[in-house]
Amino acid sequence: MRAPAPAYAADLNGATIDAAQALGAKLLSATDLVGEVALHVDRVSLVETMTALRDTPGLEYQQLMEIAGVDYPDRGADRFEVVYCLLSLTRNHRIRVHVQTDEEKPVPSVTGLWPVAGWLEREVYDMYGVLFSGNADLRRILTDYGFRGHPQRKDFPLTGFVELRYSEEAKRVVYEPVQLAQDFRTFDFMSPWEGAEYILPGDEKAALPEAKGAPTPLKADEIVKADATQSAKAAPTTPKTTDSPAQTGDGKAEPK
Amino acid sequence: MADYLEKLEGQADAGDPEVGDVTIENYTINFGPQHPAAHGVLRLVMELDGEIVERVDPHVGLLHRGTEKLIEYKTYTQALPYFDRLDYCSPLCMEHSFVLAIEKLLDIEVPIRAQYLRVFFAELTRISNHMLNLGSHVMDVGAMTPNLWLFEIREDCLNFFERMSGARMHHNYLRPGGVHQDVPLKLLTDIGEWLDTRLPRLFEDAISLVADNRIFKQRNVDIAVVSRDDAIKWGFSGPMIRGSGIPWDLRKSQPYDVYAKMDFDVPVGTRGDCYDRFMVRVEEVRQSARIMRQCLNEMPEGPIASLDRKVVPPKRGEMKRSMEALIHHFKLYTEGFHVPAGDVYVATESPKGEFGVYLVADGSNKPYRCKIRPTAFSHLQAMDFMMKGHMLADTTAVLGAMDIVFGECDR
Amino acid sequence: MGVELTRAPADGAILPPDQSFFDGLNGELTDKGFLVTSTEELFQWARTGSLWWMTFGLACCAVEMIHVNMPRYDLERFGAAPRASPRQSDVMIVAGTLCNKMAPALRRVYDQMSEPKYVISMGSCANGGGYYHYSYSVVRGCDRIVPIDIYVPGCPPTAEALLYGIMQLQRKIRRSGTVER
Repeated sequence: MRAPAPAYAADLNGATIDAAQALGAKLLSATDLVGEVALHVDRVSLVETMTALRDTPGLEYQQLMEIAGVDYPDRGADRFEVVYCLLSLTRNHRIRVHVQTDEEKPVPSVTGLWPVAGWLEREVYDMYGVLFSGNADLRRILTDYGFRGHPQRKDFPLTGFVELRYSEEAKRVVYEPVQLAQDFRTFDFMSPWEGAEYILPGDEKAALPEAKGAPTPLKADEIVKADATQSAKAAPTTPKTTDSPAQTGDGKAEPK
Repeated sequence: MADYLEKLEGQADAGDPEVGDVTIENYTINFGPQHPAAHGVLRLVMELDGEIVERVDPHVGLLHRGTEKLIEYKTYTQALPYFDRLDYCSPLCMEHSFVLAIEKLLDIEVPIRAQYLRVFFAELTRISNHMLNLGSHVMDVGAMTPNLWLFEIREDCLNFFERMSGARMHHNYLRPGGVHQDVPLKLLTDIGEWLDTRLPRLFEDAISLVADNRIFKQRNVDIAVVSRDDAIKWGFSGPMIRGSGIPWDLRKSQPYDVYAKMDFDVPVGTRGDCYDRFMVRVEEVRQSARIMRQCLNEMPEGPIASLDRKVVPPKRGEMKRSMEALIHHFKLYTEGFHVPAGDVYVATESPKGEFGVYLVADGSNKPYRCKIRPTAFSHLQAMDFMMKGHMLADTTAVLGAMDIVFGECDR
Repeated sequence: MGVELTRAPADGAILPPDQSFFDGLNGELTDKGFLVTSTEELFQWARTGSLWWMTFGLACCAVEMIHVNMPRYDLERFGAAPRASPRQSDVMIVAGTLCNKMAPALRRVYDQMSEPKYVISMGSCANGGGYYHYSYSVVRGCDRIVPIDIYVPGCPPTAEALLYGIMQLQRKIRRSGTVER
């Protein structure tokens, strides 16, 4: 890890994964990617899992900092992922707990463990339409009163469906279908040779991208690992500049 | 009359208030969404028993601008200014989380001078944020003068920011791989001088008016006491959790950039009331000034952004002479850089608490998902239990001590 | 007062703006003891001199709106004082992004203001949606909800820009009187 990201006790990652194995069948998989531990757990027994994560000595994740929803429509079944970000104040460690669900299958609410989950779950419900069983107050929270749809879903258009206008006739603010003077401009940056599924002969040797920030099929953690094995990279070469006309490579003027 | 008194005999108890007393029912009032003490567009639906608050239902989302959705449609460079506009009282600290998250996925090195500059200006942002919060807090509970002085400090801060980035409020200064541009030496010396003269004078004067003021204490001490357990359960962070007596500061416990080298103290409250939160912020301003002085002493010379030309655009001078630099510049400002697939949750200590970014990248030049963890969201949610049994007039004190900004809360 | 700038004299002496006008006015007053003007002009003068504004701080621009009131810029020099109640105010400064959820409240506050009333739209979000133009929850310009007199550009406009906007509004009132709606 060369980036100056917050340095919590990352040496506990391995021990955390070992300790999490005690969850048994409730734990579907545990990964340590880009220096962060992510546990994929079973949806139905989420509350027991969370209780264990909070109360087991050696895990002790006292604080629930965030619940994030993510939409993966390409996955087919169980398109939504609900991500719980936990923080341990005593061990100075963070983990994420991932749960998969769809529009109908409710996720057990963790409001009994952390009252802060109330609004966080409301927000995920508002943005994605994920249901939480056991949350007594599952209303919309951020969107407009009477809003329809779940805006963070990938199939929800950016500009929505309705817009507001004050109507002089009705003497109130009315909703109308969206009419944009100029459409939102999106560009497709995928060049045909980057989007290709096949690998051209010779390209399989390119294990690492040419430089940071260049398009790469590799995952972030693979790059981190590959970099860790490499020694410090050589300083970048001096930029190819043209300081004097002599370097331009053009011919001399015709001698008279 | 005698008849009435006879009737009243033995009946005038609260259990059967038919005669003599009037039945008082709880009533509901609406606070906001447009209210000068609401610090923006908060709407509170409060159930009152006389003047005692029984229940508070905060309605948020009146400033929900769809930032997270918009970020998914913009490249990483284009998405960065949205973070300035989240918490508009401390814009630089918002950028900090996002920039660190991108760098963590890219695994890119940041030059040491850039890290110092980030810490330095993040602390200046903390000072300017606390000026706004402390000033409006004392103003909400009835003191006028400190606010005027504190805003004079804030005005100085904005001038420094303008000299740093060209913008008074929305700087867009931190960039993945470093900072946007180097600062002139004169700016650093001016800030150093300001830290030693003007800041302590104005700040200590203003605080001395309220810190031991009897009226200010009456309005704040023992208002909305939060115990340590409650603070943990409700996901508090920043001055709110420190006010409750837990010495938890991400700059100390999970240092990012050069905070590991910084020497500063973490102030902690003892009672967990509004006054403690206020005083924690007051002390944080002094500690921030200490960090800034240390930065000024230690800041080395050197590059201010990574030399990786696939992430950081070249300087304009280089661009005019090098074709390669010109191509890089063009590519970076149209297509942007690609972030390898992966997901991270990166949280930094913003002036209001833990500000986190859960970033899911899919290998393209746009974030797949960028969930912002606002600080105010969990604090405001606790409003209900903090307000229970307090007077209606205490609402402003509690809100002031929470330090809520709706750009960030509603996103 | 006014936005017309007079060129500073070369010797650097400080010249009060429009000195001859004030001298004339003063002479007439000392000579006759009274001034003659039309009621229309008197009203306009009174209106420009006490533009009490309604604080409608929505987002980032609200911070600059506070700054313009604070000692450095001191908006009250121009007779413009912040009021918290719409009933007492003459001008509403819409400072920040207007979201769908907030729009009915904005209109209600505007309807409560007494005539004559003016509206200043501050910042690019209030002017036309700005950076959030394509969002599903943002009103693309607060002129869809209330009529606007002055647009102040910027993201956010600096405190000076808002100050200039208020001076422009005074000028507009002087020029056109009450705006017919």
